[in-house]
Amino acid sequence: MTRREWIALISAAPLLKAAPGPEGTPPTAPVAIARCASYDEDITARLATMFDQLGGLDRIVRGKTVTIKLNMTGSPALRVDGRPPGVTHYVHPKLVGATAHLMGRAGARRIRFVESAWATSGPLEEYLLDSGWNVRQLLAAAPGVEFENTNALGKGKKYARFQVPGGGYLFPAYDLNHAYEDTDVFVSMAKLKNHGTCGVTLSMKNCFGMLPASIYGDDAGVDQPNENPTAGRAKTMHAGRRQPSKSAPAELDPASSREPGYRVPHIVADLVKSRPVDLEIVDGIESIAGGEGPWIKGIRRVQPGVLLAGLNPVSTDAVAAAVMGYDPRAARGTAPFRTCENTLLLAERHGVGSADLRRIDVRGVPIAGAMYRYDA
Amino acid sequence: MMLRVARWVALLSTMPLLASVAPPSAWVPARWNGTSPQSLDLLSGTPINCLLVNSYSPEFVTRAAARGIVTLAVLKPGADPADPARKAIRAGLQGVVLEGDFPSGTGARVRDMLADAHAVVVELTSRARMPLGGPDPIVGTYQGVWPGIQVLDNGAAKAAPSGSPWIDTNTGFIRSVRAWGPASVWLGYLPPAHSVVTGERYQAAIADAEMAGARWIVALDDDFSARLERSDAAAIKNWRGMAQVLQFFESHPEWRALRPYGKLAVVEDHDDALLSGGILDMIAAKHTPVRAIPGQRLTPDALAGATMAVDVDAASLTPEQREMLKNFARAGGTVLTAPPGWKGQSALQPDQITLDKAELDRLNDIWHDVQSMTGRKNLGARLFNVSSMLSNVLATADGKQVVVELVNYSAYPIENVAVQVLGTFKHAQLITPEGIQKDLEVYATDEGGTGVDIERVSACATVRLD
Repeated sequence: MTRREWIALISAAPLLKAAPGPEGTPPTAPVAIARCASYDEDITARLATMFDQLGGLDRIVRGKTVTIKLNMTGSPALRVDGRPPGVTHYVHPKLVGATAHLMGRAGARRIRFVESAWATSGPLEEYLLDSGWNVRQLLAAAPGVEFENTNALGKGKKYARFQVPGGGYLFPAYDLNHAYEDTDVFVSMAKLKNHGTCGVTLSMKNCFGMLPASIYGDDAGVDQPNENPTAGRAKTMHAGRRQPSKSAPAELDPASSREPGYRVPHIVADLVKSRPVDLEIVDGIESIAGGEGPWIKGIRRVQPGVLLAGLNPVSTDAVAAAVMGYDPRAARGTAPFRTCENTLLLAERHGVGSADLRRIDVRGVPIAGAMYRYDA
Repeated sequence: MMLRVARWVALLSTMPLLASVAPPSAWVPARWNGTSPQSLDLLSGTPINCLLVNSYSPEFVTRAAARGIVTLAVLKPGADPADPARKAIRAGLQGVVLEGDFPSGTGARVRDMLADAHAVVVELTSRARMPLGGPDPIVGTYQGVWPGIQVLDNGAAKAAPSGSPWIDTNTGFIRSVRAWGPASVWLGYLPPAHSVVTGERYQAAIADAEMAGARWIVALDDDFSARLERSDAAAIKNWRGMAQVLQFFESHPEWRALRPYGKLAVVEDHDDALLSGGILDMIAAKHTPVRAIPGQRLTPDALAGATMAVDVDAASLTPEQREMLKNFARAGGTVLTAPPGWKGQSALQPDQITLDKAELDRLNDIWHDVQSMTGRKNLGARLFNVSSMLSNVLATADGKQVVVELVNYSAYPIENVAVQVLGTFKHAQLITPEGIQKDLEVYATDEGGTGVDIERVSACATVRLD
């Protein structure tokens, strides 16, 4: 069985790792919460405890290739108050290093960090350096650490096509960098923050960054991918003002809403349906509220002092949203989904997982003990 | 030049009261509003040794001289400077500064008039009138941009073409001026009016000039001056921070003698070179090491070691110089020539030192080509996590020592800066104004160069590689 076939199998079937719900209800999985006041605390120990609470990391990564999608949205040159992006809108490099270390210790064969670096197809290592990360330390954190910029073809020879089982909301399938296919375990490492378009950015919205700008970017080729993209995806994916490269599956209904608050949540739900997330880690130690990056007016720095990890992205994001003080089942027009669809509910409707807090087993610190109201 | 140096030697011999005076090339200037001799105490522990004064008392001048501090009277246009210049010299000042655009020939006339007194005359003119390549030991201008990250009305940082925040800087202009000759370059612009200028921004103003080998004439805003006068603790702290940055650069005069290290040359004519925010500053914002070559100074030697050249205004070159660029290309170099008629579509105003929007739009045409040409190539050094910084990469003539100077224009220290320099170096040392002198681990980069990681840069820092 090829990896592609395997991914298709686990996408179409009930998730193997998550407990299936009662007939007709989406699956759920435990979510661990830990308090962690600062990046100077022993993050490795906190994470290790959380992974143990989820049943142990060994059983997930031993002997496996693990691909970790980092949240490093926007140019590393753009900063909030001049602060390092790891304490504002990027995941923090110490958390990344601790994760690599623990995965190496748990027997992961290869740990591949990936992100579609903003407006470039250059090496991800350079993007990390520009973000103030110490790449050499990361490489030393565990055996088999490597990096891939998934904004274009990268080190692969062709794009991997991910069908949305049962049909997608906006696209029937998405063409992604090979790294998302050539892996045994897929991890979404996200930041606990708001999002200007989607209300919240958590483990699922992080997956929007899988889309290569070479195909889905504003300067993507019309027919074929542009392997040297220099722009973001706002025109193509957020606003639908142009179509992706014709090499990729076309939009199902070009006459559908062009509103970003409609499109992006649907695309995100499609993506997590087509490329299942096996493990979610959400960095809420320090973050921003009010938006996803320095380009959003009115953002402010926050210190929730919390880490989350889970084994189902919808359940993890539901708990994370609750920790932010939101109802994860809130309807459009209600915080945090004031001007957008609720991505969590769309993914739930896709059968990815449950956003019903009553069904989710929260381990470690209870939600009430970790709550940090982002709208306060 | 010899005549001017001879005058300086003569000046020293006629000033018995002036204790161990530095030559003009080592003068560290500041505008000084205080006239009481006690105000000179603020200079203790600073390298400032030259004061530009609007008014003075005999006691002040005597006490300054006793401290080895040169005093220069500032004279402005509007009246014949001859009488006030003579008066200043009679009062014991060592020279005058003609600040502003005096009628043509005024500087020479005042110099001749004061020749017997061996007084020094410094001209701070508009950029366009600077006597580049002349014999004066000091050339200067009263024009400059206030260095720093440009903030838009909505509070956001203005983005550069590279996506980085745009940094207002005088470094491109200074590089161009210094390419004309060895004269010390003074920048006499003032802090912005009606603004709160923080200590960090004063430090950036000093470092912006010093990094490129010039000196900003230290000038304090009224509020800062007043607070300093009454020994306000915060003002004293900021003043010490400024002194620390000044001392940092003045402790390393050897850096001024180094030459640009890099493979990219920009050939510009006089007018382009006098602007801020032009092609040199755009390239600097990408941290691509670049050497400025005035069109009038284009020679094969000036291009030695370069592999790429940008010819900003081909029309201004002589046929021989165009042939030089052709030979450069024949030898394997890459030449990017601006489109015909690219320049001269809108004339610069006499007081203009930055580009307006229309000119910036035109510059973008050539800028995109420059970006395509340079790409991610290492043209001397590549720096990472430096979006709020500018840098200058210099080397000794034999290339055995490379110095990377970094200036941080943000209000926050920057952590984890990576520097990757072309060439193999065995030792690296980090030097900072805070007194840090620390060996750095060197490592080989993928492209065969030498890499170092810097933990933290506050106002500025220098890495020296051997």
